[in-house]
Amino acid sequence: MRSRVRSLWRALTGRTPVEREMDAEFRLHMELRAEDLMRAGLAAVDAKRQARLEFGIPERYKHEARRARGLLPFDALGVSWLDFKLGGRMLVRYPGLTVVGGLAAAFAIAVGAGVFEFATQTMSPALPFPEPDRLVAVRLWDPARLREERRVTGELAVWRSLRTVRDLGAFRATERNLTGAGVATGEPVVVAELDASAFRVARAAPALGRLLVDADAATGAAPVAVISHELWRARFAADPRVVGRAVRLGERPVTVVGVTAPGFGFPLYHDVCVPFPSGPPVDATSPGPEILRIFGRLAPGATLEAARAELAAATARAAAELPPSHARMRPRVDTFADAVSQPLMTGDPRAVIGLQLFLVALVVLVFGNVALLVFARAATRESELVARSALGATRARIVTQLFAEALVLGGLGAAGGLAVAAAVVRWTFREMQSQGTRLPFWMHESLAPRTMLWAAALTLLGAAVSGVLPGLKITRGLQARLRQAAAGAGGVRLGGVWTAVIVAQVALTVAFPVTAFFARRDAQQLRTFDPGLPTRQYLVARLEMEQETASGTRGDTSTDALVRRARAAAVALEQQAESQPGVVGVSFASVLPAMDHPQRRIEIEGLARQDSANAPRVSSVDAAPDWFAVTGAPALAGRLLAAGDVGTRAVVVNAAFVRHVLRGGPAVGQRVRYLDPDDEDAPRPVGWQASPWYEIVGVVPDLGMSDGSDPNETGAGIYRPAAPGPSTYLAVRVAGDPRAFATRLRELAAGVDPTLRLYDVKSLDQVPAAGQRATTFLYQALAVVSALALLLSLTGIYTVMALTVARRTREIGVRVALGSDRRRVVAAIFRRPLTQVGAGVLAGALIVALLVRGVLGRLTAVEVAFVAVYAALMMGVCLLACVVPTRRALGVEPTVALRAE
Amino acid sequence: MSDHSGLLPGTLDLLILKAVSLGKLHGYGVLLRIEQISGGALQIQQGALYPALYRLEHQGLIDSEWGTSDNNRRAKFYQLTATGRRRLGEETASWNRLADAIARSLATTPQEL
Repeated sequence: MRSRVRSLWRALTGRTPVEREMDAEFRLHMELRAEDLMRAGLAAVDAKRQARLEFGIPERYKHEARRARGLLPFDALGVSWLDFKLGGRMLVRYPGLTVVGGLAAAFAIAVGAGVFEFATQTMSPALPFPEPDRLVAVRLWDPARLREERRVTGELAVWRSLRTVRDLGAFRATERNLTGAGVATGEPVVVAELDASAFRVARAAPALGRLLVDADAATGAAPVAVISHELWRARFAADPRVVGRAVRLGERPVTVVGVTAPGFGFPLYHDVCVPFPSGPPVDATSPGPEILRIFGRLAPGATLEAARAELAAATARAAAELPPSHARMRPRVDTFADAVSQPLMTGDPRAVIGLQLFLVALVVLVFGNVALLVFARAATRESELVARSALGATRARIVTQLFAEALVLGGLGAAGGLAVAAAVVRWTFREMQSQGTRLPFWMHESLAPRTMLWAAALTLLGAAVSGVLPGLKITRGLQARLRQAAAGAGGVRLGGVWTAVIVAQVALTVAFPVTAFFARRDAQQLRTFDPGLPTRQYLVARLEMEQETASGTRGDTSTDALVRRARAAAVALEQQAESQPGVVGVSFASVLPAMDHPQRRIEIEGLARQDSANAPRVSSVDAAPDWFAVTGAPALAGRLLAAGDVGTRAVVVNAAFVRHVLRGGPAVGQRVRYLDPDDEDAPRPVGWQASPWYEIVGVVPDLGMSDGSDPNETGAGIYRPAAPGPSTYLAVRVAGDPRAFATRLRELAAGVDPTLRLYDVKSLDQVPAAGQRATTFLYQALAVVSALALLLSLTGIYTVMALTVARRTREIGVRVALGSDRRRVVAAIFRRPLTQVGAGVLAGALIVALLVRGVLGRLTAVEVAFVAVYAALMMGVCLLACVVPTRRALGVEPTVALRAE
Repeated sequence: MSDHSGLLPGTLDLLILKAVSLGKLHGYGVLLRIEQISGGALQIQQGALYPALYRLEHQGLIDSEWGTSDNNRRAKFYQLTATGRRRLGEETASWNRLADAIARSLATTPQEL
């Protein structure tokens, strides 16, 4: 195979050298033969003739040789290396088209490849294992609720007995604090409870020590853990002596026995693997714990269909032993890749195809624009093409040459586009990870080979659109024009399709920058948003209390017990932290300033009750009573919350609440209630209409009760007094750099309760940064797209104008020479291009209007004026693109014009 | 295929493989070697040698490199690859089987039926 590819490649890329080699070989053959014949007594002339005769016709053998190398199909197309060289030369000769076309191609390929990469990674992941198609997942499907049932109980034992699926194992995940000698404190770790078969299924090998084995799960076995390569580097400083070290997961002591290979995270992601608890399920009729994934490998020779059949039969046999609630459930075996992508695409494979069609459409549209430019260039080369046609070039040959030129241009742009796509994909992955999103192990931040192939296919398609279409158009009737060429008549014209392309282009040019402008406004609002307190002085963190109690035993797992433990831990942590040097104060709240605050509808007692859609929506924060003392916020009216308020219905509101909800009226003494329940996601109790009434006892300044991203949010809000719960935010006010206190805070928390987990420890001014970065990125991306659209559009308009003028130079010259009014000449020529630009601007303005009404919400008068001025400006800029060709046309000397072709 | 008179179809490839298995040869050398080892019994249309050489090279059975001939001229030399050597063995065995079978068939007398 390799030799064939090499031979074909050499023959294709070096056609001339190959021909030369053949000539040399044939010549040598004939010379040697002639010499032999001369030695046999023939005269030199006769010997040479004889040698030639014996050899036969060289051209015939060359042809056969090319067939032997599989080159004849290429000969038929007429593609040659020369075409590509010519394409390269065209890039230099027409730098304008190179830049614009290259940028357009880069843009189309960047979007095409980037979106494809994300889509394939989420919708059809490529698993980095041997024989990934034989990896399967078994799931319990609930047809009534159209979702997966994760509380698998007795089924697991049935499934483990399957003969078509080997190494069946289960996986579930929890989070725990990792502590112990030589462990750097940091975020809690993801602990996978995993059957040892996972490592066999994934054919994994340890980087250090050993992986889990079945015996580790046996009752009475020493508790062991395998840590991930990444955790080993981050928390153990890649210490090779980590094997054998005793650490604690929460309160449970375990011994590290090994480190997995880099990137290993099967079946989802994890930092630490411990054995899946063995033993019979507690009670087959009660729902067990949630199992995230059940996996296995098809036995040698077994097919997916066979596994499905066996599973169905086994389930039917075991029906009597399964809980009645599971009777309607259907177990399913799917390939692992299908199982992990299924929730994302809700079982519809058409999503991928639809996306691909969209990307193809985008590429066709963008390259359609390039086609316009290529067409214009081809039109200026018409005489060359006519001449070549006269010399015997077929239509296919000329179209092929234009295709090759477009391919060179498209390939150049595609290379740039792929680089951009790779950078964006990498950035997005890092950004997601920096915000704490854990990505499944099969996701990677580089472009996959199949994305490269996809990009290559898109580039070929683009080259076909931007090379073949103009080629076909320009060569249509070439013979007829060949006959007319002497008379100087005729010439190519731009048809209806091109008109549509230009109008669409101008419309997008008008619309894109407006969206970019509003994205920028949002980004700026976020940046300049003032949360009303010195954010640089606060260290904040999210606190979570583990449901399990000490030493992994499930003691009192009731919610009340959890709340009591959480409260005790929070109080202890607060006391210890406040005694630290440099700490000004510690407090708790359910949401931090400048975060996205959930909005709830409310009602004010005594005010006419509005229909539910128009009820005021405000933020609601459960804060510790000392929240205002720690933030230093004074009472603007009434009083602040006090320790005794916890459990009562006293609340304080902020100044924005007084402004927007009470219209500046008195606040203290008013009563307010919620029309939405505390937990939006929980089912509303039957008959629930509203919360009890709360009494406003004071007013405080605005302390960032919105993240500033939504202009429709007023920032009005209510603070309810509350003691810290199992999931809350902690704010520590520190004199000096708050981040310096982060390590100490983790140590304190670990000392107070090993099951108290700390997430996202950072200074308060970093809280809105993530949203800001995303918005800024969106704005920058839109700005780049706008600039590209503008560039393409202006070039397109300019090209069309220039082409129009070039086609009619002779006519202009004659009319001006005959004394025509220049204005009328101009009007006649430019009527059509101007109509196109006008239609485009109108369509663009319409899009903007719809966008503003539908998406962007309220606009200030200044912004409305801005949009109007902008539309006028765009019209002007588009018209400017017409100026140069117009001036050139009018400046033409009649004598020159008459000589023009 | 070209008409290399006197040869059964497919046998030219076999002869070329055999010729180059005996040592590195340029095109004309292959021709001479075949004439030599066949005792001059097999005549090849000379130009037809080259498409066959390129085909075998394309199939990875022989390899080529440019070098200098005995009388100091630039020539392209062909030699057998490992795949080619294997193929030559198979083809030789197969040819021998065929030749035997045909020989036996032709030697059959009415009495043996």
